[in-house]
Amino acid sequence: MLMRPFRVLAAGAAIAVLAAACAPTETPQGRAVTAAWARAADSGATGGAYLTIVNHDSVTVDLVSVATALAASAEVHESMQHDGMSHMMPRTSVSIGARDSLVMAPGGLHVMLNQLTRALAAGDSVPLTVRFSNGDSVLVRVPVRAP
Amino acid sequence: MDPPRDMPTVAFTRQDGSRYTLGPAEGRPLVVFFGYTHCPDVCPTTLADWKRAKAELGDKAARVRWVFVTVDPDRDSVSVAERYARQYDSTFVGLSGDAPTTAKVMEAYGVAAAREDGTPGSGYLVSHSSQVFLLDGAGKLVALYPFGTRWEALAADLAQLL
Repeated sequence: MLMRPFRVLAAGAAIAVLAAACAPTETPQGRAVTAAWARAADSGATGGAYLTIVNHDSVTVDLVSVATALAASAEVHESMQHDGMSHMMPRTSVSIGARDSLVMAPGGLHVMLNQLTRALAAGDSVPLTVRFSNGDSVLVRVPVRAP
Repeated sequence: MDPPRDMPTVAFTRQDGSRYTLGPAEGRPLVVFFGYTHCPDVCPTTLADWKRAKAELGDKAARVRWVFVTVDPDRDSVSVAERYARQYDSTFVGLSGDAPTTAKVMEAYGVAAAREDGTPGSGYLVSHSSQVFLLDGAGKLVALYPFGTRWEALAADLAQLL
């Protein structure tokens, strides 16, 4: 019997952790990062991450920057395929229409993490600040997956 | 690829001083991709797909040679290329040649690469041919997979060769 309160508390804590892990990170104006993952990579190497951002607002907003303390710099880039060649270019802003979403995926838009300050291993997470043109920003903990 | 095309043999020096030859090896198909280790998207996606294809093939995959060749040897040293490929699977081989070797292998495979402006943070970017090459054990090119081809296609073709 004495154990019961502890069990209830433990279960409650576990549920709270799960909820935190799954909860979308949303700005007051309704921009939410609903999915995110990063690849495992060596310290000093280039890393990559992918986000899904939903704009619940009634106006278009631009994704204007990403930042993390775990890399010398972070940028949004886009890969494109043309005549069997892969090209990549930096994107200084990406529009997300009203009540639309931006889905980053391999072979397209992605976050480039330049000169990682430490190795990223599966199970780690990358704190990433995502900023929008209206001044909104969200801090996302991006889980790292095996490469 | 019909008919299969003979491919020239190209030799690289590895970090331990040994030679690694891209060429025929009886009963051992060769899967090759050309990229660069600063590539955050297309190259990791391709090597991650190889990992899945290898897992699908099970024990038979031990006979497959999986090789990543850098087209950016100025930044990718031999050890960097080796370590990069090994991150995905301990049997994946990463190769970095000197300038003549890199030019030779790119010409042999019809691979192009060009430096593009990046940002101060990223440094230069590299546009590069992004297909995966499959050679049979006789060193003949039997298939090409454009980027975006599902890994299951490579796994199925390898299963036929093994």
